[in-house]
Amino acid sequence: MIVIFIEPGGTRREIEVPEGWTLMQAATANGVEGIEAECGGSCACATCHCYVEQGLERLPPPNETEAAMLENVAAERQPNSRLSCQLKPDAGAAPLCVRLPWRQS
Amino acid sequence: MSFAFDPFAAAVDADPFPYYKILRDEYPCFWSAEAGMWVLSRYADIVVALNDWQTYSSAQGNMMTELPNRAGSTLGTTDPPRHDRLRGLIQHAFLKRNLEAMAEPMRAIAKMVLVAVREREQFDFLEDFSSKFTVRVLFAVLGLPLGDEKQVRDQAVLMVQSDPVTRQKGPAHLAAFAWMTDYAAKVIEERRRQPQDDLISLFSQAEIDGDKLAEREVLLTTTTLIMAGIESLGGFMAMLALNLADHAAARRRLVAEPTLIPDAIEESLRYNTSAQRFRRCLQRDVTLHGQTMRAGDFVCLAYGSGNRDERQFPDPDSYDIDRKPKGHLGFGGGVHGCLGGAIARMACRIAFEEFLDALPTFRRVEAQLPWMPSSTFRSPLRLQLART
Repeated sequence: MIVIFIEPGGTRREIEVPEGWTLMQAATANGVEGIEAECGGSCACATCHCYVEQGLERLPPPNETEAAMLENVAAERQPNSRLSCQLKPDAGAAPLCVRLPWRQS
Repeated sequence: MSFAFDPFAAAVDADPFPYYKILRDEYPCFWSAEAGMWVLSRYADIVVALNDWQTYSSAQGNMMTELPNRAGSTLGTTDPPRHDRLRGLIQHAFLKRNLEAMAEPMRAIAKMVLVAVREREQFDFLEDFSSKFTVRVLFAVLGLPLGDEKQVRDQAVLMVQSDPVTRQKGPAHLAAFAWMTDYAAKVIEERRRQPQDDLISLFSQAEIDGDKLAEREVLLTTTTLIMAGIESLGGFMAMLALNLADHAAARRRLVAEPTLIPDAIEESLRYNTSAQRFRRCLQRDVTLHGQTMRAGDFVCLAYGSGNRDERQFPDPDSYDIDRKPKGHLGFGGGVHGCLGGAIARMACRIAFEEFLDALPTFRRVEAQLPWMPSSTFRSPLRLQLART
């Protein structure tokens, strides 16, 4: 499934996310700029922060761990802030689109 | 002759990478009769398994040979939601931003340990540097009493090993585990009597939703933190030192430009991480690459192989500090991604900044290294280095 990432410099990247992978994993595996993901996806570092620009309403809401970890993001937290290690793409009508913040740590 | 992969074999301890290549190319979902489990070796398959804890459960243990009665009582051996509640209690202490206060004490420890090493023409990186450094750092982080640091370290290294003949934990390994559990129990008791501003004090008094942690969880999680902080960090530091001994050009660049040290750490985590293989237990039947694995089967996730998968990392067998590999499996990943990743990176960076400053040129003395007999971790038992 395709997900659109907008890098901090504004570059738009369309990435194929394999089934069972998270957005963070597909982004780091494809060299997308703007994600550190230091903890490897265990929802323990808040350095894979993204703003969901399209498809937010289709995503399951953050669980308790993600909600708590979102308090630790380095860039400004916004209502569409999520941690990309907790997000998987869906087969919605339009692809998910996430924008990456200017800083992660 | 048909292909066999025995993760307990000495040949695999010494050099697992040719086996991994055959596994990835020809047997990506392989039943190892010797280990009694499936082996997943491709990067993409391991990533999927790490994300899917409902299918690939850790609740029956995560080490290739699990320690008795440990599964179910530690972070690495529980599944969500229990795992998340346990982790929530302690992970705050391991966040990068909460580690900054440790930087200067770590540097002071590295400098102090290096005083004696500076004088030597030849030394054992493990005994003379990394063991002393990791044990003292861990004592400082956890607020442990110093005690006999060599004894603590020796037991931590022994408890992660397994017997290559029986393919199980041997009496010495079990005795080391029992010793470490007793040691942890004494520390916990001491901290309960006189709470301090440290992790074990916090943890030993923690309650989850009003429920105190089970005594066994406090005990075994503390035991595991000690084991990881000493054995896993020390083992990885030895692998990094080995890489820098074997790749002189990379070492020279780090000496000239120490800000490159984090890049060498990341590439070493990819190239030959000490955390080579962990296991999971299937909760449902899964068919992969034409093989059907059954519910209840154990599955080995060969991180060390995924990190050499040419499908993910171009030219995977070359050590390249300019690679800056993202998404490597050096710390595992998914919900069980290494809790200590940030502190390990920081401790390694500081240790090698000081080490390379004190010893900018060195070579390894022995061509053949004595490798630790452990089906889970891979690092040398001894790494003799000489100044050049």
